[in-house]
Amino acid sequence: MSKRTGGDLPAIKRKKRLDSDGKWGLLMVTPYLVHFIVFVLGSLLASLYFSFSDYDILNPPKWTGLDNYAKLFNESVFWKALWNTVYFTILFVPLQTILALILAVALNQKLRVLKLFRLAHFLPVISSWTVIMYVSDAIFNPRFGFANAFLIKLGLDPQKWLQDAHLVIPLLVMIAVWKGIGYIMVIFLAGLQNVPSDVYEAAEIDGAGTLRKFRHITVPLISGTTFLVLILSTISTFQAFEQIYVMTGGAMDASSAGGPNKASLVLMIYLYQEGFSFLRMGYASAIAWVLFVILFLLTVVQVVLQKKWVHYE
Amino acid sequence: MGGHAMKGKLKSWGTLLLSLTLVTAMLLTACSGGNGGKSNGGNAESPGAGGDDKGKAEQAEKVELRLGFYSSAQSDDKMQELIDKFQVKHPNITIKTESSPYNQFFQKLDTQIAAESAPDLWLSDGVLVPKYAERGVLKDLTPLIEQDLNKDDYFGLDFNKDANGKYWGVPQGIQIAVLYYNKDMFDEAKVEYPTADWTWDDLKSAAEKLTKDSTGKFATDPAFDKNKISQYGLTFFSITEGWMTVLKSFGGGVLDETLTKSVINSPENKKALDWIVDGMNRELLTTPSDLKSFQSNMAPFPSKAAAMRIGIYARTIDANAAELNYDVTILPKGPEGKRFSPVIANSWVINKKAEGAKGDAAWEWIKYWATEDEVQKEWASLGEAVPVKKSVANSSEFLSGKPENKQAFLDSFEFAGTLDVNAVWSEWVGKFNDNINRAFEGEVPVDEALKKADTEVQQVLDEFYKK
Repeated sequence: MSKRTGGDLPAIKRKKRLDSDGKWGLLMVTPYLVHFIVFVLGSLLASLYFSFSDYDILNPPKWTGLDNYAKLFNESVFWKALWNTVYFTILFVPLQTILALILAVALNQKLRVLKLFRLAHFLPVISSWTVIMYVSDAIFNPRFGFANAFLIKLGLDPQKWLQDAHLVIPLLVMIAVWKGIGYIMVIFLAGLQNVPSDVYEAAEIDGAGTLRKFRHITVPLISGTTFLVLILSTISTFQAFEQIYVMTGGAMDASSAGGPNKASLVLMIYLYQEGFSFLRMGYASAIAWVLFVILFLLTVVQVVLQKKWVHYE
Repeated sequence: MGGHAMKGKLKSWGTLLLSLTLVTAMLLTACSGGNGGKSNGGNAESPGAGGDDKGKAEQAEKVELRLGFYSSAQSDDKMQELIDKFQVKHPNITIKTESSPYNQFFQKLDTQIAAESAPDLWLSDGVLVPKYAERGVLKDLTPLIEQDLNKDDYFGLDFNKDANGKYWGVPQGIQIAVLYYNKDMFDEAKVEYPTADWTWDDLKSAAEKLTKDSTGKFATDPAFDKNKISQYGLTFFSITEGWMTVLKSFGGGVLDETLTKSVINSPENKKALDWIVDGMNRELLTTPSDLKSFQSNMAPFPSKAAAMRIGIYARTIDANAAELNYDVTILPKGPEGKRFSPVIANSWVINKKAEGAKGDAAWEWIKYWATEDEVQKEWASLGEAVPVKKSVANSSEFLSGKPENKQAFLDSFEFAGTLDVNAVWSEWVGKFNDNINRAFEGEVPVDEALKKADTEVQQVLDEFYKK
């Protein structure tokens, strides 16, 4: 491994000799470089190798070429997990982005009380999923939850909520939006601070109302921030694991995570179960690399599309 | 902004630091590769450590034994106490324990095995023994058992025997299932307590009188609302405390005796599942989604939300802690009079890599655990498992206390069997559950669920066994 660190040196040495600042710089980044090469690059390459092999963790990997990938594309559970992931993302990303933007605009006023509201919206962000699981259980528990008590009061049928195959993903999305919105709101607030107030003043003089100002000034001027938010939340949604694992009972029994009956099985949970519960690390690595390719393509598409709607400065 | 001398000094210091960092990094990476061997050789105090040939010398050499077990708040102190006593008896053996809670323990174990740094011996969940044995991780204990243990004296040795007659572990404690019932609930509903003669149909008609909705109406009442259950007749969960008992006592099952072929799609299984689905449909039995509204899948009985349960011995702990007025009896019989009680023999297993003195020390620990009455009694006093040694299991120390009819656990050995445990057990159980849970929730007909489960389970088996 250290040889590779050495290998980086000549590239930097292009200016013939490294001056003392350069050496110091190199020294300062060495811990990070070592960490990166050993624990990031190393594991990445290892997982790429595993994805082409039959590896049960307990015995050394055996090269099997494209078997894992072939199996993956023929496996209906994989497609189901991929669809669930996409479905989750399609619901989650726009909903969270739009709501967070509205919230940020509403709270972007110079009123002291509003700080309290910002704080309130940020609180779920710092809570752990386990805590949120218990809170949401108090609401959505089919037997003694508040939600069903409310429905019964209204004369409606009680629901199974997270145990209902059709409700589980929309409900998880709602909870995820509730938890994540504060974070995105803060990013938007930062973006809003950068919108010059004279533009608004000019618009006001020309007689623009609140909606028009929002539509024609705020939205285009923070499109850079919106773009960042979209990329970040798409990636994090594709990698969603903890929420679904915890809220669908993975802590009780790893194989029941993603339930009921795989209705909320997303790619990361599928990967986890295959790799760690069923010792198919090679196959799990293949899932990870397919996920990587999907995310990479999605990001490329977003970057290409941004030219159409993102304005910088 | 120091002088030239200062800068020069800094430079050489910088180079030195850089090389130090690199060397450390190199060492770190080198360590992770070979640390298994290193710690084996490095820690023995005597110079001749690691020599196989010295193992039998009268002057026993010093050995450090790494012992792994999954911890629990109830048992950790007792385990440490027994380890201390062992070390007093075997002054040459030092035990280093490695324990973590159940899930983390096995996850860590897998990575430890990959890195060749797994413990020398560990406590394995009974259902996981073949997972490790068939992947070549465990030591074959057959010769040692033949030589040192009289099989008739112990429960459950045969539950770790594979299809080729090899033994891979020695039970640490036995879990065997019986029927638990809450006496107060039976009294309230004026239903006779379960008897050893019960069939599953008897159980169901009792369950009907014991299932209650939130307004206090029983399932026998026409006004009973099955959408608002406050008390279930029977709580029913997954394989061990759910369908396996029913399938087998109806004459069905999941795998054949080679444990590589699915026998799922059978008329017996269909009958058994029809029985279960009918019970769940009427909410006399908990459905998988009913269970999700409890703190855990095990919670309904101790939290007084179910009148009966199929339960292994360890469930007495929660029932006693909840101060239930309960007792147990043997599980009901099937339509043809067949009975089945599932067994899980959590076992001590030895790492194949533990050779020579370490292997001997590991076997000493197992012998100490299984053969010594004192150890068996101490462990039994925790109430976690039925003792492995028959003489201790039959003693009044074990049989006294709650529940009154502990004898039912011992009587159940007569018709006990494993859960068709093999190397891909968790996976085929998952596939089976995926399919029949759909039938349990009324989403697909039983035939269809069985057919699909049969195909998918066979696929899992073939992938491992036909390689």
